Amino acid sequence: MALIRLSALGFIVLSVIYVLASFYARATYRRKLGREWDEEQPNIERDEFVKQGLTDYDSSIRPKLILGVYIVPICVVILMIYLTNFQ
Amino acid sequence: MKYIRWGFWTLFWLLFATFAHYTLPQNDIVRVTGSEVIRKDFSGFSRLFYAQPDAGDSDSEAINRDLRLINTTQANGRVMVYRNEDTGWGWPPYFKFDSSNLQAEASEFSSTRDQQLWVAVRHYGWRNPFLSIYPNAIAFRVVDGPNASVGLPWFNIIFITCFVGLVLGIQYQWRRFRSARIDPIVENVQDGFDAAGDAVSDHRSRVKRWLDTWRAPKR
Repeated sequence: MALIRLSALGFIVLSVIYVLASFYARATYRRKLGREWDEEQPNIERDEFVKQGLTDYDSSIRPKLILGVYIVPICVVILMIYLTNFQ
Repeated sequence: MKYIRWGFWTLFWLLFATFAHYTLPQNDIVRVTGSEVIRKDFSGFSRLFYAQPDAGDSDSEAINRDLRLINTTQANGRVMVYRNEDTGWGWPPYFKFDSSNLQAEASEFSSTRDQQLWVAVRHYGWRNPFLSIYPNAIAFRVVDGPNASVGLPWFNIIFITCFVGLVLGIQYQWRRFRSARIDPIVENVQDGFDAAGDAVSDHRSRVKRWLDTWRAPKR
């Protein structure tokens, strides 16, 4: 039961962090695209440029790296269990 | 207002520091002199300072259960008693499941006054005879002698550094958010208050002028 409680609580907390981090990363990237357009003035509408950039961003590996929010704590827990009980 | 804010944050961080001191691991160098199991009642206030039954056992909270204790002596001759409880999947997150093994190690490392064997015991928690609470032993490591170094507390250094970084990061983001979103609104309201305040002080000065007409004229 304690394991289920920990998993449920961890899942909720990490999900909140995941969602916040995703929004933050996407907004940061959007700002960066805007700045890029301002500097280079490419031959394309600004909104269109940002939209294309975000589409590329969504299909790239970068948003998937935020899944590390789930993976890293799980690895830390496994490491802690090893260090505490099997060393 | 300023003092209340300062007081609040001082109290908050003091409480947090106390909490961290209780929860973070520390090392003591001791000589194990024995171990025992006592029946312990968990219905009182001190329940807060104990973990739960062994990880595989029933979660149902019994009023009392057995508690493993490890008796030790420190280099300065003082004694220290540790409890030896599974933290399991609960708080604090040490993920300790091997209490029985640790008790066996305690037996193996126990020594007498004549033939001394010193061990570093990693633990968290406090010993307080008034509350009847004990620090929870996590692990033993044999060391050279009573004055051996326990090494730098790497875990605590890394943990506190990360934590301070997190707090500063949140504070930075919060300040940015406040100056961008909240301050303009507050300023609006403040302007309204100022206008109201001016009106009130105007009124008050008129009352004062009227009162002054009753006073003896200044010479």
